[in-house]
Amino acid sequence: MIETGLIAALTAFLSATLRMAMPLTLAGLGETFSEKSGILNIGLEAIMLSGAFFSFIIAFMTQSVLLGVCAGIAGGIAVSSIHAYLSIHCKVNQTIAGLALNFLIIGLTSFLFLIVFGKSTTLPECPVTPKIPIPLLSQIPIVGTVLFNQDLFVYFTFIAIFLAWFFIHRTEWGVSLHAVGENPKAADSAGLNVFRIRYLSTIANGFFGGLAGSYLTLGLLGFFMENITSGKGYIALVVVILGRRNPPGILLAALVVGAAEALQFRMQTAGIPVPSQLFTMFPYVITVLVLFLAVGKSREPSALGIPYIRSKR
Amino acid sequence: MERLKAALSYILIIVIILSLAVVLILSVGSDVPKSFMSFFRGIFGSLYGFSEVLVRATPLILAGLGVSIGFRTGFINIGAEGQIYWGAIAVTTTAYLFPGLPALIAIPLGIVAGFVAGGIWALIPGYLKARFGISEVINTIMFNYIAINILGILVRTVLKDPEYPLPMSSKLPEGFIFPLLMYPTRLHLGFLIALIAMVLVYVLMWKSSPGYKLRVVGLNQRASLCSGIPVKKYIVFSSLLSGGFAGIAGVGEIAGIHYKLLEGFSPGFGYVAIIVALLGKNNPFGVTAAGLGIAALQVGSLSMQRQAGVPASISWIIMGSIVLLILARSTLLTFFAEKEKEEKV
Repeated sequence: MIETGLIAALTAFLSATLRMAMPLTLAGLGETFSEKSGILNIGLEAIMLSGAFFSFIIAFMTQSVLLGVCAGIAGGIAVSSIHAYLSIHCKVNQTIAGLALNFLIIGLTSFLFLIVFGKSTTLPECPVTPKIPIPLLSQIPIVGTVLFNQDLFVYFTFIAIFLAWFFIHRTEWGVSLHAVGENPKAADSAGLNVFRIRYLSTIANGFFGGLAGSYLTLGLLGFFMENITSGKGYIALVVVILGRRNPPGILLAALVVGAAEALQFRMQTAGIPVPSQLFTMFPYVITVLVLFLAVGKSREPSALGIPYIRSKR
Repeated sequence: MERLKAALSYILIIVIILSLAVVLILSVGSDVPKSFMSFFRGIFGSLYGFSEVLVRATPLILAGLGVSIGFRTGFINIGAEGQIYWGAIAVTTTAYLFPGLPALIAIPLGIVAGFVAGGIWALIPGYLKARFGISEVINTIMFNYIAINILGILVRTVLKDPEYPLPMSSKLPEGFIFPLLMYPTRLHLGFLIALIAMVLVYVLMWKSSPGYKLRVVGLNQRASLCSGIPVKKYIVFSSLLSGGFAGIAGVGEIAGIHYKLLEGFSPGFGYVAIIVALLGKNNPFGVTAAGLGIAALQVGSLSMQRQAGVPASISWIIMGSIVLLILARSTLLTFFAEKEKEEKV
């Protein structure tokens, strides 16, 4: 009897860990493309927030999750394109542009949210993606239930991790991506279009970041509120560093932080008589520790954050 | 010609921002002239409104000065929010420990405690950056969330007022409270402290040897190292100063406005301080001017929300857009010039 209870609890915990890790993994994958090409986007938070907002609003209005996801992706790409234009064309400080975008999008999303819904006390809800158990596989105890009784987002993320890994490490495009991020001058001399490759990789960043944002609203929560990402974009940046800009590594890193978040919710509902803030700060503390433990293990692309100016030697 | 171009680009930015504001106001269905009127009436319409600008500017200037010192040295401090929280915790704790002190000792003690607490909270990411090369941007942001939660724990446990059901501390003892400068407005001693801090930072950064070295490290780390400046030490030092001033901002909010420690006392002052430092070009006088300007923007937006029904989050949109436009300023004119050329062809 106790054993079945334990297994159920473990399954629920692992399942929650996986779900918490998904937005971080998706956003991390996008940022990996961007950083590999040399564009450091601190505005990942803004991309996710924009994705979360636009996916929510469209899903709410049309009651269609699919349209919502498309809107979220479009919202993410819109934000990453602004950052890309500023970084690649205007050659501004990428960190500051990213931060400014974060402010802008926090303001814009809460402004638009107020316009559409007014000041209501009840949060408007949108449809949530249903779980689609995969026949047979989902019957396997623990592992099967955790991995194969999830929603489409989770399955898609696993496919995306594989595809991203294959793209970065096994195709010529991946080589070009590395070249542009490591030595844009040489890449340019070799006939690669540095600007185009950088623009494309930032669009990938917007795509995945927007998708990550839609997963927050359409997969996990079913509602939107002001600043709903609450730092998840920044945590995803840590996940990228810890995962050494390698898709499978990013999944592992995201799982570590995801476990901290899942644990936090468990503890909060367990009724231990201490302030819940002790658990709320847990994922952030873990992130700092993880960043500390990853010291020296991650090498940045040489041209990360440095704008490429053709005429300059 | 260059000057003309610069002036033109700034005018262009103002035009873009104003049109953006008009579009946003129209999108909520408010009256544009009425909204603009209520914006300016909120700032200049009454002594109270104007004093509110100074009250809001106080933490922005102090934290903005802190952030600017960090930026000058190459320590990108996004953690002013958390450092403000620690300043607030420090002054409350000090007041709890020494409740009977006279104002002449208590107020300076509170400020020093806030400086030290905020400074240490920034020094940890500063040390991690200098010693291990860990990104201070991410660490300071994480430290914000951690500080906010620590404050949440403290006002529910050790620092909680036992006679009150809500999570907040009891009122600070008389001696620690900042005197008001202009009763009945809320303007308090903190504003004077911010002005003193402005002069102090100027003297420190431009008229002293350590300040010179702080700036040199920010300009070129390799050159500093070659000329014998201990770069790592100065990065840590700058993080300490940076967090310290933000900490004082937190002291001012508690000792000057709320008189007790409570959650959410800062509506993102630490984040706005980053914009203030950027707009002020990391110069203490510029930071002060930017702090006053942003405070006016926020006070005006609040008045616009009350009187014309435009959500106050408009101020965040405007602030973010201003920074983006200023970043892109040098390419703004060429962008339009190219467009014209294309049209002519």
